[in-house]
Amino acid sequence: MNRIITYVITLLPYLAVTFQYVLTSLFFGTIFGFVLAAAKLGKNKALKRLAIGYTTVMRCTPSIVFLFLIFYGLPVLFRTTAGINIDGLGTITFVIITFTLFLGASLSEIMRSAYESVDRGQYEAAVSIGLSSIQAFREIILPQAFAVSLPNMGNTILFLLKEGALGYIIGLIDIMGKAYLINGNEMGAHILEVYLALSLIYWTLSIGIERLFKYLEGRFSFEKENKDTITYRRG
Amino acid sequence: MLELKGIHKNFGKHEILKGINITVEKGDVVAILGPSGSGKTTLLRCVNFLERADHGVINLEGVETNCKTAGKKDILRIRKKVSFVFQNYNLFKNKTALENVTTGLIVAQKLPREQANAVGKELLNKVGLSDKYNSYPCKLSGGQQQRVGIARAMATNPDIILFDEPTSALDPELVGEVLDVIKKLAKEGVTMMVVTHEMGFARDVANKIIFMDSGSVIETGAPREFFRAPKEARTRQFLKRFIDEPEYII
Ligand SMILES: Nc1ncnc2c1ncn2[C@@H]1O[C@H](COP(=O)(O)OP(=O)(O)OP(=O)(O)O)[C@@H](O)[C@H]1O
Ligand SMILES: [Mg+2]
Repeated sequence: MNRIITYVITLLPYLAVTFQYVLTSLFFGTIFGFVLAAAKLGKNKALKRLAIGYTTVMRCTPSIVFLFLIFYGLPVLFRTTAGINIDGLGTITFVIITFTLFLGASLSEIMRSAYESVDRGQYEAAVSIGLSSIQAFREIILPQAFAVSLPNMGNTILFLLKEGALGYIIGLIDIMGKAYLINGNEMGAHILEVYLALSLIYWTLSIGIERLFKYLEGRFSFEKENKDTITYRRG
Repeated sequence: MLELKGIHKNFGKHEILKGINITVEKGDVVAILGPSGSGKTTLLRCVNFLERADHGVINLEGVETNCKTAGKKDILRIRKKVSFVFQNYNLFKNKTALENVTTGLIVAQKLPREQANAVGKELLNKVGLSDKYNSYPCKLSGGQQQRVGIARAMATNPDIILFDEPTSALDPELVGEVLDVIKKLAKEGVTMMVVTHEMGFARDVANKIIFMDSGSVIETGAPREFFRAPKEARTRQFLKRFIDEPEYII
């Protein structure tokens, strides 16, 4: 038991790396997903097809395969097309690129369906009282679409947290990578304890994320009795 | 004050509006009647450009707008002066009753929040919802939602309000409270065009009846003449359904 706790303490600092790729991928993935969703909902047929095709390809690629494609493929692509050497890029950059491209696809689907879940009548009502399309989107559609998308967003972050553990295969030293190294150094003497310690960290994180999103769902739901009640609950 | 001239609208190959001409004076309450599918909703939607007519001119307060060529500014100008009350309310689900009413003032007209709230509360009081300022639409009955919808349409102080069957999505026992509000506005001189299947309402509240069938205005008249002595055969046929019943009773 003590040993497990010791391992947890040894692993914890490497959470910084885990957080780094989770948050960075999420940030860029959200932007990319937004662009893809806009393309899917837009009028331009070519862009639409491109975005849909991209999403399908991503859906059909296992994360690990795509990670290898990026890790080995991207340097080759840059060298042959632009003559740039990107071998010096940190491992984490490849992990971030991989998951940004992945998240873009899944988040774009989440955003698209959330957008479509807000009935068009509300948009019409908004413009009919003089709001511009952009104001109608910002004031009416976005807040509701955001609320609708929260459960799926939570799942996506959990997916990212878990799939991100694959990064150790290309040499990333996050909590998973460190656990792998410890086992290597100790020649697997306490392999079970190490992975139990690792699991404890992942479980705690996952439960935390799940709780956070449950809270956010309640906070951003509009199925409340009235506004006073929300303020009261918040306080 | 509002004049529609030669409004045409096609959906694909179907000609839904075949050149509609309507004049509305200030203070008019115009009831638009007609069988299902005759183009009543489409006509109202064309007026504030929720649908773009293929041909026609809208003259609002002396300013002519060509439906086909109208740009964003023209459309915005009309929307600022023409409000819409929807059949299924279309309240903003993420906003309270009060916010539903004030959004147009705060976001579109940049009114300070305090001032907008004062206007909003006054309007909600007027439609009998002084105790529902902070309620979200999902906690309101259909009748209450539609009354918020009316307050929202009033908020921007429009020249004319378009009602598209404001009571037909309501349970029968809730129709009265909404019609009462509309009647009250009519008495105060608010100009409106109301698409409705409530014949009693049209007869008692409107001062002008327009009967539409398959994309054309068939007959226009004052309610008395319209209901007592309709000129057109199609009007008589349409009204028969509604008039038959009392005759049996008599
Ligand atoms: N967006 C659309 N695309 C294609 N056809 C449409 C569209 N909107 C309406 N129509 C058609 O136009 C015709 C007139 O519709 P509209 O809704 O204006 O009739 P209405 O008089 O309001 O009928 P109701 O009394 O049932 O509301 C109908 O045949 C309808 O199917
Ligand atoms: Mg209709």
